[in-house]
Amino acid sequence: MDPSSRGAPRRESIRQARRMSNWTAAALIAGTGTAAVALAHQAHQATAAGVAAAVAAPAGGTAGTAGTGTSAAAGPAVAHSVATTTASGVTVTTTTRTVNGKTVVTRVRHAPAGQDD
Amino acid sequence: MTCGAAGLTRPGPWQRAPWQRVATGDDTVAVAERAALGTSARVAVWPPENLGAACAATGDVLAALDLQASRFRPDSELSWLNEAGGGLYMLGDGLAEAVGVALAAARWTGGLTDPTVGAALVSLGYDRDFAAISQGGEPLGIPALAPVPAPGWPLVRLDGPLLRLPPGIRLDLGATAKGLGSDRAARAVMSATGAEGGVLVSLGGDIAVAGTPPRDGWPVAVAEEPDQAVPSQLVRLAAGAVATSSVSCRRWRRGGAVLHHIVDPRTGHPADGPWRTVTVAAATCADANAASTAAIVAGARAQDWLTTAGLPARLTGHDGRVRRLGGWPADDGAPVPVPRGSHVYPGGPR
Repeated sequence: MDPSSRGAPRRESIRQARRMSNWTAAALIAGTGTAAVALAHQAHQATAAGVAAAVAAPAGGTAGTAGTGTSAAAGPAVAHSVATTTASGVTVTTTTRTVNGKTVVTRVRHAPAGQDD
Repeated sequence: MTCGAAGLTRPGPWQRAPWQRVATGDDTVAVAERAALGTSARVAVWPPENLGAACAATGDVLAALDLQASRFRPDSELSWLNEAGGGLYMLGDGLAEAVGVALAAARWTGGLTDPTVGAALVSLGYDRDFAAISQGGEPLGIPALAPVPAPGWPLVRLDGPLLRLPPGIRLDLGATAKGLGSDRAARAVMSATGAEGGVLVSLGGDIAVAGTPPRDGWPVAVAEEPDQAVPSQLVRLAAGAVATSSVSCRRWRRGGAVLHHIVDPRTGHPADGPWRTVTVAAATCADANAASTAAIVAGARAQDWLTTAGLPARLTGHDGRVRRLGGWPADDGAPVPVPRGSHVYPGGPR
């Protein structure tokens, strides 16, 4: 048998093995890249959620950076005011008049509707 | 050692008042209001179906606070303490927390608020529920007594539930109690509703929010007087709290002088600084409550104190001039920045 014809199947086997190896390497590289991108995305989401939670429920200790906390909002849109911050809800109007030479102070109380004292 | 008056359960007269629904123009939130603690309490929640649970939880919190810390109920634990004449007392958990918050606020404000101001308030005539002082429009030409400066909060020692109160000191928790009530109620509502949605609790205009706020925050009006027809400003509150103190209401006359309820602990006189109303935002309502009162008492130093404390604030002078500090918004509908961290609760916000 011709030595050159004996070596042909062997060379073909080697080429086939190399092709397989190249495809395997390419697949490994692509898979690693995809996994890295996915992990980086998840890490970013976790960080953003942590920041939002910190704004909505500020941690203890001394005063820190101010924030409006609106980034954590996912509630309904509310257009009208639901409460008023003001001094305590009883006001009194004081009037002074003179009756028979004596000073009389009269006060009229204004309280929220339904107040029961 | 003497035990406090814990365990008394007689309800205050305001507890007969029912919750009443309040129409706000939005059906995505539910709002209800009732009388409470000599003023009014308001609850706003979303989703609206949580309103019943929210009102029940808030009512329980306020009833408990009234029984613990009211200076005007003879059967409250605080009244019992003030009449006991000094000594060593084992407080109930609720009053221990309330006194602890008041002492922490006094320390934080450098004595601009002081829970030992009780005798000063009594000497000025503020010895009963404010509505009772003014009821009936009767003339009050009572001669003024000599001013009684506060003995000083450092004389009061609290170690857990154990309180050492020197003889002659009467405690008044007015600078922090409403804020504490709003904080407790907001927390109780979130617990009762399984932390679903969000809640706003206002006790006499001192407001705490918890949970998830409406988009852009809870819309809150800022007014200098409770009956003001047109609010001064609308702001958005997404977290934390906002509180207002003013010398424009809760006023009475004694010995020819018009008095009000915010007393300078250093002098025993009603505070007479340049600001008539101060609104402050803070991480908790007790912080905001204490800071707004402290700013009124601080007078000309109020801006410096608020700036050092890092608190957003809106101050209105007796001449109507408005100053905004710490990022308090100038525009209507803008969000209020909320500082982090509490100065009055151990371990931060509650």
